[in-house]
Amino acid sequence: MKDGQTDGQRDRQTDGQLDDTGPGPTSPPRAERPAAANAALGAAGIVGFLALCEAVSRFGIVSGDYFPPLTRVADALVTELGDRAFWTALGDTLTGWALGLAIAVTAGILAGVVIAVVPFLREATASTIEFLRPIPSVALIPLAVLLYGSELRSVLLLVVYASFWQMLIQVLYGVQDVDPVAEETARSYGLGTWARVRHVLWPTALPYVMTGVRLAAAVALILAVTAELVIGAPGLGQRIAVAQTSQAVPEMYALVVVTGVLGLLINVGARAVERRALAWHQSVRGEVVV
Amino acid sequence: MRRLLIRLAAGTVFVAATACGSSDSSGSGGEEKGSGGTTTVKVGVVPVMDVAPLYLGQKQGFYSKRGIKLETSLAQGGAAVVPGVVSGQFQFGFSNTTSLLVAQSKNVPVKAVANGASSTAKDGADFAGLTVKKGSPFTSAKQLEGKKAAVNTLNNICDTSIRESVRKDGGDPSKVEFVEMPFDQMPAALDRGQVDGACTPEPALATVKAAGGKSIASIFYDVDPNLTVAMYFTSQQYAQKNPDVVKRFQEATAESLKYADSHPDEVRQILTTYTKIPDTLLDTLTLPRWPAEPDRDSIERLTELGVQDGLFTEAPDLDKLLP
Repeated sequence: MKDGQTDGQRDRQTDGQLDDTGPGPTSPPRAERPAAANAALGAAGIVGFLALCEAVSRFGIVSGDYFPPLTRVADALVTELGDRAFWTALGDTLTGWALGLAIAVTAGILAGVVIAVVPFLREATASTIEFLRPIPSVALIPLAVLLYGSELRSVLLLVVYASFWQMLIQVLYGVQDVDPVAEETARSYGLGTWARVRHVLWPTALPYVMTGVRLAAAVALILAVTAELVIGAPGLGQRIAVAQTSQAVPEMYALVVVTGVLGLLINVGARAVERRALAWHQSVRGEVVV
Repeated sequence: MRRLLIRLAAGTVFVAATACGSSDSSGSGGEEKGSGGTTTVKVGVVPVMDVAPLYLGQKQGFYSKRGIKLETSLAQGGAAVVPGVVSGQFQFGFSNTTSLLVAQSKNVPVKAVANGASSTAKDGADFAGLTVKKGSPFTSAKQLEGKKAAVNTLNNICDTSIRESVRKDGGDPSKVEFVEMPFDQMPAALDRGQVDGACTPEPALATVKAAGGKSIASIFYDVDPNLTVAMYFTSQQYAQKNPDVVKRFQEATAESLKYADSHPDEVRQILTTYTKIPDTLLDTLTLPRWPAEPDRDSIERLTELGVQDGLFTEAPDLDKLLP
């Protein structure tokens, strides 16, 4: 419902700019009905999934000792939520995620722009990037432990390494996408360096950058939790690991559910940021109108 | 365009350089010396029952009264602890004896400083066992010939010990097939028949027993009734530079071990603070024994078995490793 409203607002905002697309009377009913249907379908999907989880262990398809029914997991989750240490762990995980993502996004944008606009650098780094990019971040765990022990910094190393490439590749494509005519036009109108970055390069690259941010945000969360789980840095991952070694199965699944919800929220948040930043862009406008 | 590029490039190089610089300068942290003669030491431990004395000693003030401020850092398995100690991120660590023997044989500069945990010296009632599931036809180690046994790490203390149990039972240990999986997954794997036997310490052992399974061999007991299963260790460099801290840590740990050994109820209590072992299992756990000193004879026996199993390319030097 909320979604529908914001869409409507943006519709009106962008109205002035697009004279030819006429988002007139056809769009509201078409946009609303699918939204309601979507919400119902989404809810049905969740309920179905939860029922399946409950049934699988209730009917003994897998042993309830190792995959506890949902009600027991929910029970454990409530206990977790009442534990101060849980919130500290959640904070630790989010800190690692946010810091790592911020570093990766900044570094990715800077490095991407520089590499993309200097033909010499692009040639020189292409093979190196293709070599480094597929290296799984988790393979660097021994290195992280050696350098930083089981601290936030080793989490950051893994998070930044994984999400940096997501950003970099997107930025590389984005900057290459700059229309040479637009660039030359800006130049002939006497726009300075920063003006051209601001008005030509940045708007062209922004959709790519936003896609990169969204991908990197998800990858960063996965890596933050993985690093905590494997290395033992403080956070949700470490709590999952402790629950595992303690044979506290419902608690473990409760924490797994928390990471899932966290991922969901992050994705929703990233999409919201993307839509807001690209409200003017065809891809987002298209989503509203069609 | 060119000028733009140059400026951007310069900016990026600057940012990259400062970023590297800052991480380097702070990378060598973890050194000691606090206020009022208190030394802060970081100990890399695994969230298992065996390290309960450390937490208990911390609570009882055995470390603080010797001027040591203990900071425990939970790591997942010795794989993270050993490099952490060697690189100086942790001043001390907890690891099983075979891992330390392997490290020593490869000239990794580790130095054991205190006992970690020992076999209970009671056959059939140890804190780890070779377990089988409920209704399993296997009743002794020998029957595992040609079958699958789960261990947490291949070529480590678990398979060495299981081989010895099979050998002592009159079987051929080379016929046992070992597969690697984390301890916590073993009860489920046994139940589903993915493995026939498993090397399970507590609390996985309690889970297996609660599900109707049983231990058919006390594998650590079979190596040596007094087997030193794990030890606290430091790096050779740290031991040389800080003999005084090491000595105080040893004394405090010895007192903690002794205290834990004679106060099992408090051990079970402290377990609830750093593990999540469910109440239902807590009371049924078989605790290890915590003698103050590592048992050299048992470690020699473990070394012999390791040599026999080909764990080492060069035999470890116990004089260099042990305190």
